[in-house]
Parts: sequence; structure tokens; C-alpha cells
Amino acid sequence: MSWHRISRKYHKWLMLFVGLQFVIWSISGAYMVIFDIDYIHGDSLVVEQQKSLQKEQVQYSIAELYRDYPYAENIELVNLLGQAVYRFSSDNEQSKTKYLLSADDGKLLSPITERYAVQIAKSLYENPKVDISRVSLISDEPPFELSARHLPVWRVDFDYFASPSFYISVQTGQLVTKRHTYWRLFDWMFSFHVMDYVEEDASNKLLLVVSSLALIASLFGTALIYFRVFKSNNTRSRKQKVRKSV
Amino acid sequence: MKLVKLMHKWLSVLVALQLLIWLGSGLFFNLMDHNKARGNEYRIKAEQVTQVEPSRLFELNSLLAQQQRVNSIKLVSLLSKPYYLLNHEQALYPHFYNEHSLFNAYTGEQQVIDKAMAKALASSTYKGKAAVKSATKASPPIADFPKEQNTVWQVNFADELNTSVYIDASSGRVVGHSNTHKRFADFFFMLHFMDYGTVGSFNNWQIIFFALLTLVFCLTGAFWVIELLGRGRYKR
Repeated sequence: MSWHRISRKYHKWLMLFVGLQFVIWSISGAYMVIFDIDYIHGDSLVVEQQKSLQKEQVQYSIAELYRDYPYAENIELVNLLGQAVYRFSSDNEQSKTKYLLSADDGKLLSPITERYAVQIAKSLYENPKVDISRVSLISDEPPFELSARHLPVWRVDFDYFASPSFYISVQTGQLVTKRHTYWRLFDWMFSFHVMDYVEEDASNKLLLVVSSLALIASLFGTALIYFRVFKSNNTRSRKQKVRKSV
Repeated sequence: MKLVKLMHKWLSVLVALQLLIWLGSGLFFNLMDHNKARGNEYRIKAEQVTQVEPSRLFELNSLLAQQQRVNSIKLVSLLSKPYYLLNHEQALYPHFYNEHSLFNAYTGEQQVIDKAMAKALASSTYKGKAAVKSATKASPPIADFPKEQNTVWQVNFADELNTSVYIDASSGRVVGHSNTHKRFADFFFMLHFMDYGTVGSFNNWQIIFFALLTLVFCLTGAFWVIELLGRGRYKR
């Protein structure tokens, strides 16, 4: 059998098995490159206001904080909704807990209430007039899009295009992550692109087998380009030359 | 169907090389050692357990009285000493453009991260045996970390992997480690993402163009397979 026929045969047969994955790769790949990654990450949903701290806001000193919470770590003073607050973690008895404390009087603000979480979410959202469609407390079994280390959180869903959600930490009042339809879709596209149908990363065996076969199939395809496009052109032009000379 | 085949033939000429690069680099990602590709061969977590003496801490409202535009103050530990890290320009992520300043948490004196401190900070995250070869201040874009938007200290170690440690020059944050393994893997990412300007992004016009051509190309191929199946050409 000539190389031309061998290439045609194997390109045809291999593509029967890996052709579908080629379609999946090209759809998911196109999706991921066309949508701007910063948009996908919902960065345009968040307004980053510069909220300055004033010295009058801090009446409860960091020394007092250490007196009340001797095991405090990672202490941070920030401006939250116009109020100076301390955020810190502390290893109490069994678990590592995070705290939110008023820097005005040392009052404990965490775990934060639903109302407070909604206020925080709204203050961070790019459109202050947006409506909230749903608020839910997630303490266990996080959805696919949320890492378990962020729990517990308030999930605030906005009533807007692409259904954005903000996840606000119950312990710190921080925006821990955000999602909208196109990011959720992106996560799926990525899974399809790296074929993590069984194992969840890009080094899985299924991907290895399929992409190896795909590479071989493509090399046969490349051989076909040589035979069908370049070689046939050459023969044709040679024939034309012969005809002209006659 | 004739058109589909004609399109498949001529699109193949346009996308063949890129498709082989995608498949080859994709296969490389599948087979590469992911730990090596991160460049963290010699990285360790800097020792953070500094026993703070609360009574000695400089008052935060005194610091706020001296400083303008402070968004947040964080009590951090650098080289076993407590510092206040002040943020003056807040961005969504640490690698976006931020402005910071550091103050000794006991005396309230400002601490600038100079070359010596940058070297010490880099060494505190490095578990290799080699010594610091050189340290230079670099403004973005930084080849090893194209997404970083802050000025950094690049501290190079004299080891066999050419390890470089990057420290945010205003905050002391460890941007990351890079070495030969990571640079090698990054080269394949650059190819896979067609990121020839190495800006650390896969949203560029050349990849969008080729992605769309490839999409049409793969669809025409899929039609062809279906047609061959329909005509009973998959027998034997």
C-alpha cells in the first residue's frame, strides 16, 4: 500500500474514535479564548472603592484585642461599610476560627447576619441599585463552584444578567469568591477540554490516550495535505507544462 | 458535501501546524511533572511564628494620624519581626497594582525593603543550599511572572536550576519562585496559548482567529466521518 493510501486509511479510522473529542476541544477552546478571562472571573462585577481609615475610628486598640483574644493571629484592620473593623484568626479549643470585631468598641460582629452580608455584597457590586434575588447560608456541602475552606458563607444572588452570585464569608465579611453563568460555563468547558470526566486534572490517563491517538491521526492528516495539496498541484502543473510545450 | 470536503482540505493547510503544536504541547502538559512546572523545587514557607509582645505594639491610631490614605493595616511578620503593612491603593488581587508601605510594629518607623532585606526575605523562602548570586529591582512586565503588576525584587540563587525568587518591593509578599523547569513549562504554555508577546494571557486575536478556523475545520471533519458512516465506508 502506498503512503498516500495508508495515511487515508488511518486518518479515517482514527478520526472515527477521536473525532468527537476534536470537536469538543475546538468548541471548548474557542469558548475559553473568546471570552476575556477577567470578565469570566467576574472582576468587572466588583467595584474596588478606596475606603480610607481615619484615626477617630479606632478606639479599641490592638493591645486590647490581644488582651481579649490572646491567641489572635493575622490581625488586619480594614474599613467595612464605613466602620473600622479588625479581622483575625484564632486557634481556640479545637478549630481555627476567624473573627470580625468592631474597632470602635471591640464588639464581636461575627458570625455576620444576613442583613449585614447583603449590605456588604451590595456595597461591592458594580451597580448599587441592583436587586437581590436570593440569599442563602451555606454551612456544609458546598456547591461545585465553592471551595470547602471558605465555609460557612452567605451566598448572595443578584437579579441581573448572567445571574451573578457573591459568596460572603460568615466569619470575616469578606468576598471570598464570585460566580456568574459564563464562569460556571467556563469551568465546564475546561473540564471537557482536559477530559477530566473520571480523574480531575490535566494529567489523567484518558487524556493521555486520546491526545496520543489524536496526534497520530493528525500526523496522517498532515501527510494527506502533502499528497492532496502539494503533490497533486505539482503533478498538475507538470502536466500543464507538458501540454503547453506540446 | 463537496463544499464540506473542499473546506476541510483547505482549512487543514491553514491550521495544520498550529493544530500539531496544540496537540504536542497538550500532550506535554499531560505528561509533565506538575510540581516541577510550578518552579517550587526549593520553596519553603517562610517561618511566620513571631511572638508579638502586645504591650510594645505601636498604636494604630497614631500611625493613622501620620499616614495618608490608608485602606488597611495588617500586622505581618517578616524575618521574625512584626511589621504593620499599610495599603494605600487597593486592588482586587495582590498581583494587580497595589501600593503598600511597611512600618516597624514596635517603633512605628518606616521600613523600606532594600536589597539586603529583599535577599533575606527571598532566602527565608528558599531551602536550597546555594547562595544568593544577585538581586535587582525590576518593574513589570516581569518575564517569569507576566501577570504581576507590581515592582519586585528579583533575587537569583547560584543553584543548578537557576532559581529566581520574586519579592513584592513594597509589601514583601512572595510573588513566587521560578527556575529552569518552570521556564521550560512556560515555553509550552506560551505555544499552547499562542501568547507570543508573553503577556500571560490566552485572549489574543491570533488564537481567537485560529480557534474559529479550527472549530470549522473540526466540524467539517466530523460531517465527513458521519457521511462515511452513512455510506457504509467503515467496514472490515
